Amino acid sequence: MSETNDNFDGLKQLLKLKRHEVPPPGYFNHFSGDVVSRIRTGEQGGAEGVMGRFESNSLMKGLLQIFQAKPGVIGGFATSLCLLLLIAVVMAERPDGTSTASDMATIQTGPGDSPSLAASASPLMPAGNSGITVSTNLVSLQPSVAVFGSQPNPLFLPASFTQSSQ
Amino acid sequence: MLTMSEPATVPDQNQPANMLEADLVRRARRGDLKAYDELVRRYQERIYATIYHMTSNHEDANDLAQEAFIKAYSALKSFKGGSSFYTWLYRIAVNKTINFLKQRRNKHHLSLNDLDFNAEHDPDLVALISDKTPHRDINLSELQKKLNEALLKLSEPHRMVVVLHDVQGVSHEEIAEIVGCNIGTVRSRLFYARQQLQGYLADYIKS
Repeated sequence: MSETNDNFDGLKQLLKLKRHEVPPPGYFNHFSGDVVSRIRTGEQGGAEGVMGRFESNSLMKGLLQIFQAKPGVIGGFATSLCLLLLIAVVMAERPDGTSTASDMATIQTGPGDSPSLAASASPLMPAGNSGITVSTNLVSLQPSVAVFGSQPNPLFLPASFTQSSQ
Repeated sequence: MLTMSEPATVPDQNQPANMLEADLVRRARRGDLKAYDELVRRYQERIYATIYHMTSNHEDANDLAQEAFIKAYSALKSFKGGSSFYTWLYRIAVNKTINFLKQRRNKHHLSLNDLDFNAEHDPDLVALISDKTPHRDINLSELQKKLNEALLKLSEPHRMVVVLHDVQGVSHEEIAEIVGCNIGTVRSRLFYARQQLQGYLADYIKS
């Protein structure tokens, strides 16, 4: 396997051509400057840029590789994302026919407050007993009545806005 | 006849251009970007050329060479000095290039650099396109394309050895250190790669 015994002289002669391939004139004049400015930018903007962090995510990396390999997939992916978003919006806005008025949280107002916030919030809401419960207590975000059944939700603590008597 | 001679200028040892590599590395490790800029200048052509000959694409080589230098700067603290900075830097560039080529999965897009003026006057190359060559109507640019296409047919490890040894003149020992294998492996890869290339380029090689 020694170099002298094998007749690769013609190939070596041909490979000399590679040494004559040179980048555009002046290319190396700004190369080191570009590297140093990228290092400075990296130091200022953290170890990695936003795109670096984005690309380091394995899921994103996989997606990017697929998109690079098959650009047509991008359109399909975007369309399916839009469809999902549309379905989500439609589902969110569709009135639930099985729910009763008592299933909905209410905005409870104090005895002296008038008129009802619920009534003024939306004309679609039945006045008096429906709406959103306004409370600073996270537990009260639970529906006032259990969804399945008529038992009241024990976790529900309705908030009241009664004014303290001074 | 007496002539006025200019006073001999003593090189300023504090200028990065006059510093030894070890001093530049030490300063760069402390965050001195002027020192690192000098290191980049010293090795930019060799690092770029290695990556370019591996990818046959100027734009890819530009990106990868810059990224290799940036990675080397960020990893300088882990450089223990067990090997020369040059070998260590080469290793980073080689690994980066091989990873890039594996990700691309044989989707090669040639973006070849122009041949310099000297190519047309190189007696070996002139002989290759002379009447004695089977494809005598071929010109140097076509030959360049055929050669790059043939190189891209080799596996990355085989191509790397041919590029480092036959194109860039790196010794077997240094290649073993850069690539991370023993010298026997380097020699066998080189032999196999040359055989492959000889087969691909048989029509263009003078017998």
